[in-house]
Amino acid sequence: MRNLTKKILFPALYLACSAPLLAQYTFFTPKDAFVIEVSLPNSAEKRLPMYRNAITSLTVQGDRILGGTTAKEGLSPYLFVASISGRKVTALKDLQDIIPGQKSIATGFCKGAGNHLFAGTMGQKNQPAGHLLQVSIGNENAIEVKDLGVPVAGEGIFTLLSNKQGTELYGISYPGGRFFTYNIATKKTQVFDQVAPKEKHLKDAHDFAIGPEVYLCKALVQDNAGLVYGSTAGNRVFAFDPAKKSFQFLETPLPAVWGREVLGQVEAWAKAPDGKLYGGNAGDGQLFVLNSVTKKIKNLGKPMMMGRLQALAFARDGKLYGLAGGAPGYSHLFSYDENAGFVDLGNPEFKMVEPGIEQGILWRGFQLSTLAASADGKYVVMGEDEALSQLMIFPVGQ
Amino acid sequence: MCAATAFAQKTDKNVAFIEYPDFPEAHSTWGSIGYNAASNTVHIGVTNHANNIGLYTFDATTNAMKLNGFIKDLAHLRPYQWQGKVHSKIVAAPDGSIFFSTDGGESREEYLMEHPQGYAGGFFMKWNPKTGLQNLGIGMQYESIKDVDIDPKTGTIYGITYPQAHFLVYNPEKNQVRDLGRLASSHVPRVLFTDWWGNCYYVDWRQRLVKYEKDSDSLVFARESLPAFPGTPGSKIITGITAYAKDEAKGIIYLITYGAKLIAFHPEKNGIGKVEDLGGVIETDKANAWGPYVPNLNIGKNGKLYYIIGGHGNYVLKDKTVLVEYNPATHKKTILREYPITEITEATGCDIRDKDGNLYFAARRNPSGLGDSTRPFMIQFNPEKELRK
Repeated sequence: MRNLTKKILFPALYLACSAPLLAQYTFFTPKDAFVIEVSLPNSAEKRLPMYRNAITSLTVQGDRILGGTTAKEGLSPYLFVASISGRKVTALKDLQDIIPGQKSIATGFCKGAGNHLFAGTMGQKNQPAGHLLQVSIGNENAIEVKDLGVPVAGEGIFTLLSNKQGTELYGISYPGGRFFTYNIATKKTQVFDQVAPKEKHLKDAHDFAIGPEVYLCKALVQDNAGLVYGSTAGNRVFAFDPAKKSFQFLETPLPAVWGREVLGQVEAWAKAPDGKLYGGNAGDGQLFVLNSVTKKIKNLGKPMMMGRLQALAFARDGKLYGLAGGAPGYSHLFSYDENAGFVDLGNPEFKMVEPGIEQGILWRGFQLSTLAASADGKYVVMGEDEALSQLMIFPVGQ
Repeated sequence: MCAATAFAQKTDKNVAFIEYPDFPEAHSTWGSIGYNAASNTVHIGVTNHANNIGLYTFDATTNAMKLNGFIKDLAHLRPYQWQGKVHSKIVAAPDGSIFFSTDGGESREEYLMEHPQGYAGGFFMKWNPKTGLQNLGIGMQYESIKDVDIDPKTGTIYGITYPQAHFLVYNPEKNQVRDLGRLASSHVPRVLFTDWWGNCYYVDWRQRLVKYEKDSDSLVFARESLPAFPGTPGSKIITGITAYAKDEAKGIIYLITYGAKLIAFHPEKNGIGKVEDLGGVIETDKANAWGPYVPNLNIGKNGKLYYIIGGHGNYVLKDKTVLVEYNPATHKKTILREYPITEITEATGCDIRDKDGNLYFAARRNPSGLGDSTRPFMIQFNPEKELRK
């Protein structure tokens, strides 16, 4: 054993401990991938300050990346725009200047009519009420924000989706978990209690020591027929019919590891070009596909051992890219297609070139929480959830 | 316990190589050394670089090295709480207690794949010769703690984790760990240091100083990066500072960067102080000025700096480590000794000086020159007078 240790283990350990890091694994380092430095305290560059920059909402419009952040308790979030071709941040907007006292923009952005995007905010712990935001990017990348008010009194906006026409919004409130609709033209809100957690669910959640962040639906999706899908506490999936204002609960539950059904939560959806709905279950990190005709859910398995599946998007190579895992471990980027199945791409490590570090440094993404593809699927953009968060971008081949 | 003995022919009246007794599998030390003024002792964490760490005390008064025990036994660790090494420096409180942290030291420490023998996380630890070892708990789940430092006035412990480089502030009295977030990128700079007010310093990915300012309870970032030679690769920039030594009387903390710059930092109680570029650690002629590797730094009672260049396969003289003296008054750098890497392969340790003015380095040697079959030992060096036997 001692000889084995000397001959094999020690050399391996030497490699593992040398600086810079050498190890038995490799990073995801596609050609032409890059990092945009978004956050940096005390800088002459356009950067977000510390603890106000966790990138929890992300979308790509042409060359422009629009991000929304979550701040540490007591601080206010930002909106920002970055250019893919310019590889830099071009505009910042402090939400405190528009709506004081908010903590996060974590719903993602959904499209309205014209150039308008919509997002929801969450307030601070003691004052959770959140606002609907109408966001647009104006001339010279200026970020224009309009406050559309609080759709559910006293509650934050945990989840938000727009319909295909961009005329109506659907959301989940926090912490009550109430479903609401918002008509963009009339500004009328309607609130429903059908998917809010029941007493039994709250007891189960208490027994599992989990809060609404874990059991409320984190993502909604609309099928080609117009039905809106999301999850409820108790590992169920619901479908809302906007025309009939009615709910149905699917018979097939979310996939679960035995005994851990309480953790079921859809936290990401992606609609395939053929209309299939792919979902990510936070509880145990399964990818699943929902057949909107049969209303059956098929468990596609897990890209890795950890729970969480925080983001999904299709790129132009036809593959579904996603972020699995997360704290207290690390997020892993993965890809999925029906033929090849899962490929765990691990932690990405891309180059950051910025003023002052023109030679470039390597940046490794540990806590990636958001992912979006450009409309043409050429770029996949990932946002970090850190005290100082950056954007990581990689091109995708045909 | 064993008396200090000369090991090799190259030891001399000013230099002694001191062995660690009772640990046949000992492999290395990793900056895991520190001085305890209350007892005039030097403490060292010595590892087999797998799963066993010996905690040693060198009594500078009696010149005796003693194994206090193994961390896993002293801390009552279970096999699934294995620790690969102590990578942190060892810092002392005024009452004579010492503090340090533990490290996984292997790729299996990373939370990549829920390894069946995966790493639980690194611990903060306290040891006192009267009360023994106290396990102060994990800093961050699954993360090593690469370095610690202490605010001697408040007892606050600072830590930096690996691989995610989170800066931790730990209050042992309240058992409160605060995670102030990730500060680095693809490499975790290994060195934290404090000033005489108890503020703690680190670097960000641009090699800018980051100060935990205790009065404001916040992180303060320097506007500019530390000095670097033109052409210094990004891989050197993100690696930060490798060593420091304090001259409190002059109000200077000397720093060495991974890009081989020697720096005089003049800390201020509030805000970031002045940074003075003292040039490279050694003249490199045609070789890259940013190339030399210096993971150690000591300051003599004479105010001069002493450091040993070389390690990790990076040497300024072929297959030799060199002991260098730097005189801040004249800015002259002089090679005092040359050692074949079979005698000194690498040395670590910062700011370790006993009452007699002896300086200490935690070193290792590879007698065969092959692979990484090293043996750790401690270097005692007095730049001004002969060592007392």
